[in-house]
Amino acid sequence: MWKNIYLWLDERIGFNDLYKNLLDRPEPKTNWWNTLGSASLFLFILQGLTGIFLTVYYTPSPDHAYDSITYIMEGVAFGWLIRGIHHWGATLMVLVVFIHMLRVFYTASFKYPRELTWLIGIGLFLTTLGMGFTGYLLPWNQKAYWATTVGTQIAGTVPFVGEFILKALRGGPELSALTLQRFFAAHIWIIPAVLAALIGIHLYLIIKHGESHSPTKED
Amino acid sequence: MNDETKKQINERYEKQLNKGERFWPDTIFRDLIMSVGIFVLLILLATFIGIPAEPKADPSDTSYIPRPEWYFLFLFKFLALYGQLPLIGKIEWLATVLIPTLALGLLTLLPFIERSPHRHYSKRVLPISIMTVMVVGIILLTMTSEVPTVAEDGSTLLGTLQTISGIVIPVVAYILFFVFKNNTRLMLWTTGLAATAMIILSGTVLALAPEKEAEETVVATTLTDQITAGQDLYSIHCTECHGDDGSIAIIEGVEGLEGEKITPINSRDVLYTITDASMIELIAYGRPNAGMPPFGKTYGGELSKSEIDYIVAFMRYLWDDRFEAPVIKPLFPPLADGEVPSYDVHIQPIVKRYCISCHRPGKDNNNYLMTTYEEILTTGDHAEFNIIAGDENSYLLQTIQEKIILDENGEEIIGVMPPTKALKPDVVDVFLRWIMNGMPQTAADAATLSTTPSP
Ligand code: HEC
Ligand code: HEC
Ligand code: HEM
Repeated sequence: MWKNIYLWLDERIGFNDLYKNLLDRPEPKTNWWNTLGSASLFLFILQGLTGIFLTVYYTPSPDHAYDSITYIMEGVAFGWLIRGIHHWGATLMVLVVFIHMLRVFYTASFKYPRELTWLIGIGLFLTTLGMGFTGYLLPWNQKAYWATTVGTQIAGTVPFVGEFILKALRGGPELSALTLQRFFAAHIWIIPAVLAALIGIHLYLIIKHGESHSPTKED
Repeated sequence: MNDETKKQINERYEKQLNKGERFWPDTIFRDLIMSVGIFVLLILLATFIGIPAEPKADPSDTSYIPRPEWYFLFLFKFLALYGQLPLIGKIEWLATVLIPTLALGLLTLLPFIERSPHRHYSKRVLPISIMTVMVVGIILLTMTSEVPTVAEDGSTLLGTLQTISGIVIPVVAYILFFVFKNNTRLMLWTTGLAATAMIILSGTVLALAPEKEAEETVVATTLTDQITAGQDLYSIHCTECHGDDGSIAIIEGVEGLEGEKITPINSRDVLYTITDASMIELIAYGRPNAGMPPFGKTYGGELSKSEIDYIVAFMRYLWDDRFEAPVIKPLFPPLADGEVPSYDVHIQPIVKRYCISCHRPGKDNNNYLMTTYEEILTTGDHAEFNIIAGDENSYLLQTIQEKIILDENGEEIIGVMPPTKALKPDVVDVFLRWIMNGMPQTAADAATLSTTPSP
């Protein structure tokens, strides 16, 4: 019975092709530095899962955000653990993505034929920082509020268009309920969607070109 | 890059593939171990370090020192140091926009800027040197981000050292890199020396940096903590007009409001008609026309948003009969026979609840401040008589037992304490035992003085 289901599925999906194309690929000798990309991917997935859980209880309004976070920490079973993982996961993801980028730089893996992988990677780096920046405001505590205030102020110093960027980020001249709404939407919908799409392209390119070997004297 | 080099690169890669491994299971296996390791690390961090509690956002609290997320700290430090530079320091957007954009632009276009097909380290000394100095700089700027650039005594030594380490050395190193462009050895030396100098300077800065005082912000997370915090704040700020249980209907002993009739704020009239939101606003804004001053920082008062929330929680749970109060810890642990109380465990919470509302700076109190252990023992117009170890006639003990202190002419110099409502006997007992046994500060000191009555 199971065998029949398997055969039926195999006929439509082609497990063998999947296996051959995705898993049974040759790779040059790799080392621990090469695990950082997949570690970034793992962290992205983990942030997604824990984040989904958090949105169940979180309310993006200045009146309730803080209390809903307190409730997650105090009232929800294992809420503290989930939020703890999401919180530290964010920190670690920025760190891991950054070190991943450094390793690609030092081994010159961005050179032909992987230039596009690098460009997409820069996009990934910026969106990861964007996730951190928008997520930081959500608890609506002192640290969050003031960090975002100074963060958006920096954008305001751009000549000519600074004022406009500042208002677009904040949804007005001051941080307000609108800012929180905006950051929340960006944090759970807009940026993750971009990030996921970029990761898809990134991974396709990596499978297409294979992982680079660590540079030898000849290279 | 011509087709010939491309072909060579691809051939070399093929060779490496033949000597290499399989994605499944070799590569994936290591990836999995890494991910599991990270997952375990995250669980440990979440469990043992957790997330420090923070007070609620308070837009009016301009005293709060804003800090960005930790991974932007280096940029902030850089901006602060840059602002110290003569002349160009004034052109803000150079540092906030131009330099970051330039750095990011170079990084983005890296594959098109570094066009040589070579990958080995020995053939990429220039880019590696530039990146290394940059990364070392970023790490050091992050580490020193808390150190002020101008010390409290006005000395700019720390700021100067930081500017040298964070801006001057990197700039000099970058210039030298382009001077030595064709000399690998000199470039490596420059990188090494620059990095070492930056590390030593930043180390010095960290060693010289003033010890950072741990900021004490009480963040009450559980309901009972919030209620207790609210009760303390209420006792400090509100009792003089509303009484310690909110029942005062006629204000006494407050300048300018003497005899003023007010609605007791523990009554249903007040609690049922005012919602939490308007209560918060009322406390923040006060009733300037009726004589209640504003308390919210937004309007020039002393209380933050969170603190006002706590007061409202306290009022609701203790006075509003629609709310059921959770079990609240007693103000201080009850004393056993022969046990000596300490400042830390017993006196401090009592003083906070019953005395600090008047005995703090800016109030009428014969200059007797009670906010710390030292102050309690050493301040006041009658400092030498207020507290005398082992003496029942200490002024403090007399006044809290409803005895007035008179001078030689029989004139009253100190009234009963607290002036409006006598302390409960168990609280008086704590003060008595504390002073009779020499005013121990810590619980450990008190324990050595305690005697267990032999049966
Ligand atoms: C300097 C005296 C003073 C202090 C201190 C003070 N109040 Fe008042 N409060 C008043 C007066 C006067 C009124 C007006 C009473 C009235 O109109 O019935 C008032 C009114 C109120 C009311 C509204 C009562 C009503 O009928 O609308 C509340 C609630 C209240 N105070 C709470 C507080 C809290 C909480 C604090 C401490 C943070 C505080 N007050 C501190 C003097 C004071
Ligand atoms: C409502 C305000 C108020 C409260 C509450 C209060 N005091 Fe006082 N206290 C005063 C004033 C005012 C004086 C100045 C003397 C006087 O006018 O009676 C004073 C003076 C004193 C003095 C004499 C200081 C000196 O050097 O002359 C002592 C001791 C004292 N208070 C102890 C306490 C203690 C202990 C408590 C708490 C249990 C307390 N007080 C609570 C208002 C207060
Ligand atoms: C969310 C962030 C990211 C994810 C999930 C991710 C994922 C991955 C994975 C799984 C790999 C293959 C394994 C490895 O070499 O480690 C990889 C390789 C690569 N990444 Fe990323 N990456 C991210 C960010 C970046 C960034 C910021 C850059 C650079 C700007 C970058 C550039 C590259 C390049 C050039 C390769 C090919 C390396 C090689 O073939 O040796 N990536 N990435």
